[in-house]
Amino acid sequence: MQISNYMTHEHRACDAVFAEAEKAAAAGDWAEAEKKFLEFSNDTLTHFKKEEEELFPAFEAKTGSSEGPTQVMRFEHEQVRGLIGKMAEAVEKQDRDAYLSLAESMMILLQQHNMKEEQMLYAMCDRVLPPEEKSTLIDEMEKVEL
Amino acid sequence: MFQNSGLSLDQAPPISVVLRFFLAGSLWGIAAGAWLLLQGPSALNPAAPQGLILTHLLTLGVMLSFMLGALFQMLPVLAGIALKDPVTLAIRSQWPILFGTLLLLCAFGSGSAVLYFLAALLLGMGLLPVAWRMLQRLYRLRDHSASSRGMGFALYNLLLLVLLGFWMVALLGGWTFRGDLLALRQVHLGLGLLGWIALLIVSVSFQVIEMFYVTPPYPKSYARCLPSLVTGLLTLEFVAVLNLPAMQPWIESLAALLVGIHALLTLRRLSQRQRPLADATVWFWRIGMGTLATAMLLWIVGDFTTLSIAWSETLYTLYAAFALSVVFAMAYKIVPFLTWFHLNAQGYFNAPMMHEVIHPRYAIRHLSIHLTTLFTALFAAWTTPELWHLTGALLLFSFAWIALAIYRAWHRYLEVQASGEKFEFPSMT
Repeated sequence: MQISNYMTHEHRACDAVFAEAEKAAAAGDWAEAEKKFLEFSNDTLTHFKKEEEELFPAFEAKTGSSEGPTQVMRFEHEQVRGLIGKMAEAVEKQDRDAYLSLAESMMILLQQHNMKEEQMLYAMCDRVLPPEEKSTLIDEMEKVEL
Repeated sequence: MFQNSGLSLDQAPPISVVLRFFLAGSLWGIAAGAWLLLQGPSALNPAAPQGLILTHLLTLGVMLSFMLGALFQMLPVLAGIALKDPVTLAIRSQWPILFGTLLLLCAFGSGSAVLYFLAALLLGMGLLPVAWRMLQRLYRLRDHSASSRGMGFALYNLLLLVLLGFWMVALLGGWTFRGDLLALRQVHLGLGLLGWIALLIVSVSFQVIEMFYVTPPYPKSYARCLPSLVTGLLTLEFVAVLNLPAMQPWIESLAALLVGIHALLTLRRLSQRQRPLADATVWFWRIGMGTLATAMLLWIVGDFTTLSIAWSETLYTLYAAFALSVVFAMAYKIVPFLTWFHLNAQGYFNAPMMHEVIHPRYAIRHLSIHLTTLFTALFAAWTTPELWHLTGALLLFSFAWIALAIYRAWHRYLEVQASGEKFEFPSMT
């Protein structure tokens, strides 16, 4: 399996749960919103952990660079983590307008981050990592828990 | 390694680069509205100077500004291309384009050969280097997406469009007598409206529709082939005009058909979106794609028969509604996002949320102004030509509305920068 397919699939799964949480918040169903938002946060943060602890180090070892793209991706992960914190506050306060506003920022931030990864970083990982290393890496990522 | 592969994951260009183009585009829109308000139905005659002036106010003024701003913003995101020193590049292209456009409008009005020459010179100075640089970077890119490939084709069409524009200016200025102005005009229209404006929007939509609204993706092979097919057809049209004029309507119609199909497919995608809220931007996209599909149908009919004045004006109106709807849809996402994003990335605790920069209600009100403008224009085309004056007033109002939103966002940005408390991030380098 290619790194791109595996990671892109996770992006899309997070998007789907995100949309469900937004739908519930818009409808004022805060119990459902909280459940789906938690699921979205867990999935997203686990995905980040897979990248930061498995994928990025493997890429950096292969390319000999720990600066540049992976550094920027880590920085953007921090921005997303900050926004998740603010959205959690909005869920707790059941503040619909704040939640929807933050959701809008989150969606664009996350999507432009995903685009960079999907268009460039994952493609590069698929190119520089040998096939057997890729399948070991995917197995390792499967084991990552939050 | 990253340089060689074309990978550059730098942060977006400074917000001023994008906002300067968006604000300029809005001001051109105000000028277009004022021109239509003053001239009324005569501004709709494509053969008259008044018509040429309105068309170029909307295309060279409004659309080019918004599209260059969007390209500066999206090239790093969609293609990983960070242009070196974007502020200088933006200023060096924006001012010559601004004065070049002004001179071209004066040249249309006066027919002065000197003004045509100066306009072509300035527009060339402003447009060619920036388009060439963007195209060059896209060409070197190793990992292409459907969007980045499409942007490359759109920029290629822009370059061809400018070169053709020079040829037409040379004919109008009397420096050459080679070429049939009417036939060249038809290719110029195809390249500008289909190859540049529509194709850039199509390319951006490949990614933006799926990602912003969480829709199923466009079919991969379709997205990969569409821009090259449209570009190939338009290039073929250029050749046909010079050698086989009878083929021109067939070739152009095929290109219009492909663009029309994309509009229908996008409408379908929007109806399958998983995000629940139909905010103003979703409606702007829907109106844009609906009017594009209808405009392309009329375009095809017009390729084989002579459209009546009312139908021609309807085609003009629908195409303009398409282009402006998408511009507004993108602006209402990009402007508040960038304001929040840049301030947040700089570490300001009081970075305003997107809804605090431009509230969704503000965009919804703009949507109603936009729809009123569209229907007034259609009424003007079919019933009362005097209504074109009112359409002009509404267009002016519509652009003043978005100009105010962009200005306020910029003002808010500077205000937070001046007074906000900042968290210092650890150095990135």
